[in-house]
Amino acid sequence: MIAQVIFSLLLCSVLLYAWTEYRRSPVVALLSFVVAAAGVYFVWVPAHSTRLAEFVGIGRGVDLVLYTWVAISLIVLLNLHLKLRTQLELITVLARKIALANVNVRPVEGRREPGATSVSTLNDARTSPLKPHAAKLDEGRSRRKRDRSA
Amino acid sequence: MHPKLWVICAAYNEAPAIGRVVTELRRAGYKVVVVDDGSTDGTGQIAAAAGATVVVQPINLGQGAALQTGIDYALSQDADILVTFDADGQHRVSDIPRLVDALGRERADFALGSRFLGQSYNLPALRRWVLHAATVFTRLTTGLRLTDSHNGLRALTRQGAAAIRLRQNRMAHASEILAEIARSGRRYVEVPVTIEYTAYSLAKGQRIGDSVMILRDLFAQELSR
Repeated sequence: MIAQVIFSLLLCSVLLYAWTEYRRSPVVALLSFVVAAAGVYFVWVPAHSTRLAEFVGIGRGVDLVLYTWVAISLIVLLNLHLKLRTQLELITVLARKIALANVNVRPVEGRREPGATSVSTLNDARTSPLKPHAAKLDEGRSRRKRDRSA
Repeated sequence: MHPKLWVICAAYNEAPAIGRVVTELRRAGYKVVVVDDGSTDGTGQIAAAAGATVVVQPINLGQGAALQTGIDYALSQDADILVTFDADGQHRVSDIPRLVDALGRERADFALGSRFLGQSYNLPALRRWVLHAATVFTRLTTGLRLTDSHNGLRALTRQGAAAIRLRQNRMAHASEILAEIARSGRRYVEVPVTIEYTAYSLAKGQRIGDSVMILRDLFAQELSR
């Protein structure tokens, strides 16, 4: 009974996960949903899993294997989720550094007149992470051309 | 007018609203930094034209990440007081002085806006219920006794802003800020504010299903600490 409750809670967390992931990746969400729902069913009606096992020619011991597989899958899933979070945190730090290194739109200090606009180089800012390097490359190419022609 | 006060707006595809928001803030004399969170509708250009300093995140990371970027920027500009202000136009500029006054009067590091101490217009009943449930959740998990735990209008002192760090990129950041405030042990105060929901802000705002995602993100963060 305790094992059934624990597995049911774990599988319900997968159902919730499937629901929240549906908008981002519907195929993964549907597969997770089907597997988790089947898991919940077999946890509470193990006789049917035995019948299924007999039907496909496998003995009762498969119950244990099935449960173990579910548990391992959940742990792997959780682990992948945490790893992705870590990766996202690193990407966030990187993107923030790029954003803060390229702030080049500064309004005039103090009160602004309504309707007034500030000089903006925002289009440069949007692509700026690569622009300084591109500018240096262009400069290098021009210098080499000048050297060759000289 | 406080000379070292910066208003931070995190904005993602807010072209219809950001111009008016920034114009009102600038007209009131505030310095404004808009963190353009990878918008594709010209939000950054509109904000810049209205007089904001614009920090452009190269990719869309989420409101929490954008707010932390804005906080980092304001701190780098020697801001003494930082105000977070939603970009969809649901807050009132006239509430900012009340938050700032409360910081000084109560010797607090965080002044948190509350629509339930103040007023809210056009707040759907279901959303009101979910917000109350979130308040109970916040009280249980952080111990903070608040009336409104998901209000984007806040004022922070420099010391307060430096004491918190947002790691939740997306919607869970509102809960994370409160957890960080509780962890810092610094003084906080709630201030009545007015929130006016429009069809635009309701469409842009969170959905009920998002609360499940918030719980998932908070749980995952606890596991990855």
